Amino acid sequence: MDTFVTNLAVASLVPSHHNTVYHLIVIVVAAVAAFLPRYFPMRFFTNRKIPEWFNEWMKYVPVSLFTALVVKALFLDGKYQYFFDQVNALGTNVTVFGHASYLIAAVLVAIVAYFTRSMLSSVVVGLVTVWLLTFVL
Amino acid sequence: MQQKAHQFNPGNQRWLEVLGISMPLCLSYLPIGVACGILLHAAGMNFVLTFLISIMVFSGGAQFILASLLVIDAPISTIFMTLFFLELRYALLGSSLSKYFRSSSQKFVLLFSASMNDENYAVNYLKFATDKKWTPQDALMVEHYSLISWASGNLIGGLIGSTVTIDLEIVDFALTALFIYMIVMQMRSHLSLIICLTSTALSLFFLTLTKSTLGIIIATLIASLIGFAIEDWVRKHSKDPKNAWVLKRLFRPAMTRHTVEDRQMLSEKKAQQAAQVEAANDSGEE
Repeated sequence: MDTFVTNLAVASLVPSHHNTVYHLIVIVVAAVAAFLPRYFPMRFFTNRKIPEWFNEWMKYVPVSLFTALVVKALFLDGKYQYFFDQVNALGTNVTVFGHASYLIAAVLVAIVAYFTRSMLSSVVVGLVTVWLLTFVL
Repeated sequence: MQQKAHQFNPGNQRWLEVLGISMPLCLSYLPIGVACGILLHAAGMNFVLTFLISIMVFSGGAQFILASLLVIDAPISTIFMTLFFLELRYALLGSSLSKYFRSSSQKFVLLFSASMNDENYAVNYLKFATDKKWTPQDALMVEHYSLISWASGNLIGGLIGSTVTIDLEIVDFALTALFIYMIVMQMRSHLSLIICLTSTALSLFFLTLTKSTLGIIIATLIASLIGFAIEDWVRKHSKDPKNAWVLKRLFRPAMTRHTVEDRQMLSEKKAQQAAQVEAANDSGEE
């Protein structure tokens, strides 16, 4: 067991390509890119009075943002182009706009979230549905 | 429900209570974290680096995208710009939370913003809006609990990455499912449904136009401004803004109508009715 763990550790320490220094630079760059937009706007507004209209506007930011992120995952491919899925339904080929299995799973996730308000069951139902659909579609 | 919580937490300790609130979040972070660790391992990072990045970046979307950028050997400038635009949404999320951190120190704000994330933001935003006893300290605790589970997930993923192969198409959907869940949680009025549809159309247009995550930011900004404008217009032009169709609450199944927010609304309504009755009595006496 011990040798297995050490072997595993050694194996994971050797990168398949690139070197550690390059990866460390990437990590620092990524951390800076992640930190700047999180810190400065928040810092700016804790010292100042936020105008009422700003608060009212911010109410609609999360729903717009999450929708945009979901749309990207459901309807676009890796190159930001519209994705069309070929699905064999009841012996006929159907062209669907978007990733077919994701679309079906997305509807189920929304239904489960609506009725249970549970994050975990929503995610699990989504993953299981996509997994099951890989056998069907 | 509360009695049950009391059994698990006899001393009524705050850290345990907050842990209970963040548990669903932590439990869903763990498997996604493992998937992300495996993905980063496949992109050539060892488990130490994977662990480091999960703490320093702490963003599911950013780390997934970073893995795909590493695979295609993207230049560092591209990596920075892509991640920066992806993370730019936190500017909006952070400033929407900032009103609750008026009395906190700058060091605290630094610490808090460093580990802010879509999901723990959603939890904290809801708690701040509905729970009067929710403090910045509690919010930071939620962030750190989720960070611990996310980082452990990444570490595990980085360690087992060489031994397992997973279907990336399935794992990829975990993040989407999480976002769909949060959209449903955000659905309060008919207007939020309209904004959701508006954002769908806008993001379809701008994502293909910009061919980058910049489209997400543009669509978010426009859709949220439209929502703000509609609400503003209704409030100014409707005789009874609270009961106007756009601002009316969406129908929800009876079994999910027991949130803190609902109770607050009910007590507000009762107080209003009591005030009206009192006012009627007063005028009757005169």
